[in-house]
Amino acid sequence: MLRLLACATTLAAALSHAQQPAAKPADPVTGEAPAEATPAPAPAADGGVAAAAAMGGGSTGTGAAPVAAPPPPPKKIDPKLFDDALNDYFAGNPKAAAPKLFDYTENVPSTDENYAWAQFFLARSLIELKLHHAGAVYLSRIARERTNPQVLTRALEELQQLTDRPHDEAMIDEQVFGALDLGFLSEDVAGYAHYQQGLVDLRVGNERWATTHFSKLPEGSTEASRAKYAMLVTRLKQARKDLPKEMVDQFFELAKDEKLTREARNDAMLAVARLRYEAGDFPGALEAYNLVKLGPLEPGRAALYLEEAWTRYQLGQVHAAMGLLTTLDAPSFREEFLPDKFLLKALIYRDLCHYLPAKRSAKELTRRYAESLDAVRERDDLTRDPRLLRAASARGSTQRARKFLESLELEGEQLGRYAGTFGERMFGYMTRVYDLARAEAVRVYQRRLQESVRVEADKLLRAAEQVRLMEYEVGLKLYERVKKGSKLVALIEEEALKSNQVSFKFADEYWNDELRTYRFSLKSRCIEETAR
Amino acid sequence: MSRLCALPSFVALALVVSAPAFAQTQELENPGVTAAVQDRPYRLLHELDLWFGVLPLDAFYTGIYAQVGYVYHFTDRFAWQVGRGAYGLAARSSLRGELERNFGVQPTANDEVQFFVGSDVMWKPFYGKLAVMNRAVIHGEIHLLAGATLFRFTNSGFRPGINIGGGGRIFVNKYVSFRLDITHNVVLPTGGGTTSFGNVLTVNLALALNFGGND
Repeated sequence: MLRLLACATTLAAALSHAQQPAAKPADPVTGEAPAEATPAPAPAADGGVAAAAAMGGGSTGTGAAPVAAPPPPPKKIDPKLFDDALNDYFAGNPKAAAPKLFDYTENVPSTDENYAWAQFFLARSLIELKLHHAGAVYLSRIARERTNPQVLTRALEELQQLTDRPHDEAMIDEQVFGALDLGFLSEDVAGYAHYQQGLVDLRVGNERWATTHFSKLPEGSTEASRAKYAMLVTRLKQARKDLPKEMVDQFFELAKDEKLTREARNDAMLAVARLRYEAGDFPGALEAYNLVKLGPLEPGRAALYLEEAWTRYQLGQVHAAMGLLTTLDAPSFREEFLPDKFLLKALIYRDLCHYLPAKRSAKELTRRYAESLDAVRERDDLTRDPRLLRAASARGSTQRARKFLESLELEGEQLGRYAGTFGERMFGYMTRVYDLARAEAVRVYQRRLQESVRVEADKLLRAAEQVRLMEYEVGLKLYERVKKGSKLVALIEEEALKSNQVSFKFADEYWNDELRTYRFSLKSRCIEETAR
Repeated sequence: MSRLCALPSFVALALVVSAPAFAQTQELENPGVTAAVQDRPYRLLHELDLWFGVLPLDAFYTGIYAQVGYVYHFTDRFAWQVGRGAYGLAARSSLRGELERNFGVQPTANDEVQFFVGSDVMWKPFYGKLAVMNRAVIHGEIHLLAGATLFRFTNSGFRPGINIGGGGRIFVNKYVSFRLDITHNVVLPTGGGTTSFGNVLTVNLALALNFGGND
């Protein structure tokens, strides 16, 4: 039904567009009428920014739309300006080309034969000047206006490339690729559009429609691999119990698929490891953890080490697990939000019957995260807690939103350098584009942050609860009677040093090349249960 | 007065008694030992050395020599420098010239090292790594040497000597390393009619080519 409605809306828009072919859309940012004052309805807003603004406060929530300045009088444009701009562009001078192309696009009707090309080269110039978002705004405008099919294809290709870096997901993924008519597109672009449209369907829970899109992807293409991954993740989320066994194999296959990004391959391998862990296949999980390819100090490493430590603990390799926990105290990982770390440490000490250190490790969690726990208990704004904030904005869609916001801020600063070159009008226009985009990006980031910070707080509370239980259990053990004639349990065999190995005793100094190699040695003080 | 005298004793006693207690507290709070256990990135088996060295001890000349050597490494800690042979040239010092000019000393009066061959055992107890400006890590080792050398002197001919010394090695990669050795040779009073012990200090730098150690 939704789909029908969307089609109907698109059709209606297309029809209305067809009825007024010469109409130039209103200025997407300022809402200004076009220079030639053709009465034209504005199609979808540019960059998602004006659309959001047009939808009112409920949509943008920013109220940051600037007051439109009175439109300047139409200027007569010399057609040679376009050629000059192109000469500048191809001579490797996008800085000179951009203001000329802007001038051109602002002062010719959209029916001008060079209008779309001017927009395209303006976008390219802006991208080359590292103003990626501004470039994306123009490319998206080309994709929506569709005044020149040749330009459209190239604009979509450029847009597809821009999606590899932080970008406006609403403007590019949803409003351009998610709403594209797929009939006229080249295979590559169509593949990407099918993938995006399938993703949109998956997000709203229409797996059947998503499958229809994904089935049209060429077998062996990058998008096909990404689609498989998206489908598997969705099924994994939906599966509550009894995960199908073949899912592990499917994830494993994807983890080796070179067409996926390294991040996606790592995620797939992590999924394999976690599924195996849940199924009790700890050696298999360990094997999968070792196949995750991350640099020694990359942010994801800390969580990986912790999961590996849990797996080793389940395998009875408590000394190796404790070695990994030592790694997590290294300066590179110390600030990572890993409340489970203290719990595992306490468990290991408890298993070796060193009860005081176990109690101390358990208490360390409540001490380290005291401020965050207080914030949760006092129902404070959790986004103000630096630990929770850092943890929440380091993953998933919140991380993407943060990166996009950061890139906008960086580009906004970059824009200031061109104040003189761009001229007052273009600079003012670009400033408004960035201001609005930033306001929207802040809103999206804050919304996602609210959700993810709650997830992290839940994680912390669960760990704190476990720790309290642990403290209680250890307290009981501390005062347990030792029976007469008790003997220590047999020691866990520690691996001897091989001839090709060298041992550096750890003395509170972390070396990056040693992070993965710590080995802990501690004798168990446990008494045999059978003692009388 | 007696109280004043007793105070230092009390302090000393308190320190002595509290030291084990403090250690025990540490042990209770942080039990266990952690060590980084790593595979040695550089291991040696056959080593061919190309040396450049100086004999700086004699006031009348400075010997400059080139040497080649072969070392077989039994383990990571113990090796045998199977053979080394050096041929030197003497750069006469200004003191020598002065003696010849002003005091009529014969140019042949001084005994100079012409060439020498020898063999040593190597003990390598120290292995470690260095952080270079917090940007890179280089690995190296320090070794001790003991061996025998047969010298050929210009005047006294062949004379045996025993030597002890030490040196260090910095690894560049699996196949190349640099060695700096300093050895002191005590030349025995035999041969050539000499009746006194001689001393020859060698300072030398080598480009070491390593084969087979990391296979």
